[in-house]
Amino acid sequence: MELLSNILNPWNLLAAFLTFAIFSFLYKDNPFYKFAEHLFVGVSLGYSTCIIIFNAFIPKVVNPIFTDFSHNWHLVIAVLLGMMYFFRFSSKYRWLIRFPMAIQIGFTAGISVTLRMDARLFKQLKFTVMPLDNIYTIIVIVGVISVLIYFLFTFKRKGILNPLAKLGTIFLMVGFGATFGNTVMARISLLIGRISFLLKDWLHILE
Amino acid sequence: MKKRIPLFIVFLVGMLMIIQFFIPHRLSVTFYTGFLNWFTAMVLFALIIGIGTLLNRHFKKIKRKDDDWGFSIVTITGFFGMLLIGIFGGIGEGTLFMKLFEFVLTPLQATMFALLAFFIASAAFRAFRARTFEASLLLIAALIVMLGRVPIGDKLTFGFASTLTEWIFRIPNMAAKRGIQMGIALGMIATSLKIIFGIERSWLGSDD
Amino acid sequence: MGLSLKPSKLTSLPENERMSSLPLYRIRGVLIIFYLFILIIPVFGKQFNFKAFDTPNDSGNSISIYLTVTDNFSTGRYVIYRIDEDNNEFEVVNFELSDSKILEFSFIDSNVKDGVGYRYQLYYTKKNLSSYFILSETSFIYSSPQWYHKKKTPVLIGILIYVLVLFLSILLAKRGGIKYIRKLPGLDAIEDAVGRATEMGKPVLYLTGLERISNIATIASLDILARVSKKVAEYETPLLIPCFDPIVLIIAREIVRESYSFTGKPDIYNEDNIYYITGNPFGYVAAVDGIMMREKPAANFYLGAFYSDSLILAETGAATGAIQIAGTDSPIQLPFFIAACDYTLLGEELYAASAYLSRKKELLGTLKTLDIMKILIMIFILLGSILITFEIDITGFLIR
Repeated sequence: MELLSNILNPWNLLAAFLTFAIFSFLYKDNPFYKFAEHLFVGVSLGYSTCIIIFNAFIPKVVNPIFTDFSHNWHLVIAVLLGMMYFFRFSSKYRWLIRFPMAIQIGFTAGISVTLRMDARLFKQLKFTVMPLDNIYTIIVIVGVISVLIYFLFTFKRKGILNPLAKLGTIFLMVGFGATFGNTVMARISLLIGRISFLLKDWLHILE
Repeated sequence: MKKRIPLFIVFLVGMLMIIQFFIPHRLSVTFYTGFLNWFTAMVLFALIIGIGTLLNRHFKKIKRKDDDWGFSIVTITGFFGMLLIGIFGGIGEGTLFMKLFEFVLTPLQATMFALLAFFIASAAFRAFRARTFEASLLLIAALIVMLGRVPIGDKLTFGFASTLTEWIFRIPNMAAKRGIQMGIALGMIATSLKIIFGIERSWLGSDD
Repeated sequence: MGLSLKPSKLTSLPENERMSSLPLYRIRGVLIIFYLFILIIPVFGKQFNFKAFDTPNDSGNSISIYLTVTDNFSTGRYVIYRIDEDNNEFEVVNFELSDSKILEFSFIDSNVKDGVGYRYQLYYTKKNLSSYFILSETSFIYSSPQWYHKKKTPVLIGILIYVLVLFLSILLAKRGGIKYIRKLPGLDAIEDAVGRATEMGKPVLYLTGLERISNIATIASLDILARVSKKVAEYETPLLIPCFDPIVLIIAREIVRESYSFTGKPDIYNEDNIYYITGNPFGYVAAVDGIMMREKPAANFYLGAFYSDSLILAETGAATGAIQIAGTDSPIQLPFFIAACDYTLLGEELYAASAYLSRKKELLGTLKTLDIMKILIMIFILLGSILITFEIDITGFLIR
């Protein structure tokens, strides 16, 4: 009885229907998939809009402006900058939308310079420098250098550069293969997860 | 002026962000978090425009009675339904909003993710058909890793697959990853600097 | 070496507990023990080290406390007290050691105010004894925020070197110093792909990735879009750009509109082809899959940051028979693009693409910058590895 009510629970039925509707895309594009896809877009957009309003805009922008204006007056500028995006509807002032665009792009570019130098480049360099006291570290270092040579843009691949760039290709492809194989195994476990929802949580065929 | 001012803003903001990285003082921290809040304020207006473009597209489809125009109603209803339920019913635990999240969005997301298992099989098949030396290398390494990751594959190869898998991860994969990562870091820094110094202006549309 | 206890939050014990843990604390007797102890110190020798200092390179409101103990002090209970200029006391930390050899502790007291002086007292009691005595006391310490993070100097030098190389290589390029550029087949194929779409009367699909404007890969993709959209405008083919981020949408519309006016075809620009979908990655992918199946674009571009969803897109695109050109800086997604797409830009090549396509001298110079930086890195790796083999480490500055 409990089993039946679980299967017939409208929420579970809905979830199961949507699961099948998405899976049906594997056969071909069809009305069920179209329905699920269009619903997905609408609902997820409605969801994220609410989240942005209630969890970000109100607590971080509206409330600070209305409760403590003297410390948060600058947020009004941000609101005005955001509103500048609406100048895209004006042919005369359309170029003004470049102001908020420029702030956003300048911020991303500025942050990236320091962050990538510090967290990516320096860290990778630190790990790559290793004592050349065994064959494995020597292979890794040769590999890193040949991959870097592979990526050279303005030097002709002649002399020693040619075989090294080829070696770089080999390292790259074996590395990609390893990632590929590893991900295949991980994805299959995801599929098992979805099937187990249908069989276990919904139909209770598996315990 | 239509280009100079935005280019100057990019330069100014970019430099300020670089400088604030080196300043531990709390004024610098406040400056940074203040900026993040600015974006929270700005993004809502961009989102309104974005939503407008999507709705406009679907309303036009309905008006013109394009193929599949009925599904446009699903998107529009889904969006306004979720929005109104969130605004009037709240978004906390136990609300209808969260129920819809749990029983509509979550299964949709999880199933899209699960599709990957099928697509990865077809991708493997595609890689298998490739006749180039590089593609074969990729495939051989992938096969070894797949065998090495499951007990039965390992048994069939007398433990050879898992040993080789470990070697592949520790040596060639490691070397490839580090090389790529360093290259990417260089590329990211170059792109950022090009934009800050106004060398790359294509984001402004034409760069002439 | 040693153990480092770094409590994330230092709180005071309630008043009553504080009294019980330090029964002699407020009694004058403690002074007698203190004086006795001063006499005993030479017997112990220097077996503990206790100091407090303003935490370096921080945003203020924090004092670091450092303590090492050895031998005779390796068992027992320690209490560190903080006393401010107005003689308010506060227990910073209270812990017990049992038979440890050499121990190092560092604490961060983040419960202090900048510009106020604090003294720290170290109390100690042997096990099974109830009487505490003062082991050490610091002078007044003042916390302050710093204006420069000294340990970030290497990053600053790194950036300065990069900027220097950037401007030198642009100068070199302007003087015609760049004779050769490696062919990037994926970028050379753009023209063919757009041409084929035009012949077939099908649209071109361009995705800037599943990241927001806050990701530099997205901006790199928008730079490439500026070049690609000019080609598409020349061919008068529809260009579909479903967007994941509303700000990317606004910028993409500007870029494409400019491209169409640049090529003298502002009247055929259709901004309805560039639209927002949703910020939900899988919702976005589901919708783009639908576009691929229904509008059947003949050329698909995937340039930017992609995650696990990339495979669904690339496989669906391959199934529809489109020419696919991909490029991403997400190494995990690269093998899937390689398997499913006709051409793939690997990692760094995504960031080089805009310069490559522009063929403008100063932008080509930035390709030289990338090469010079790579050569510097190779030299550093080789030199560093040789030196570290002989136990000379030159990489210390790389990690804070």
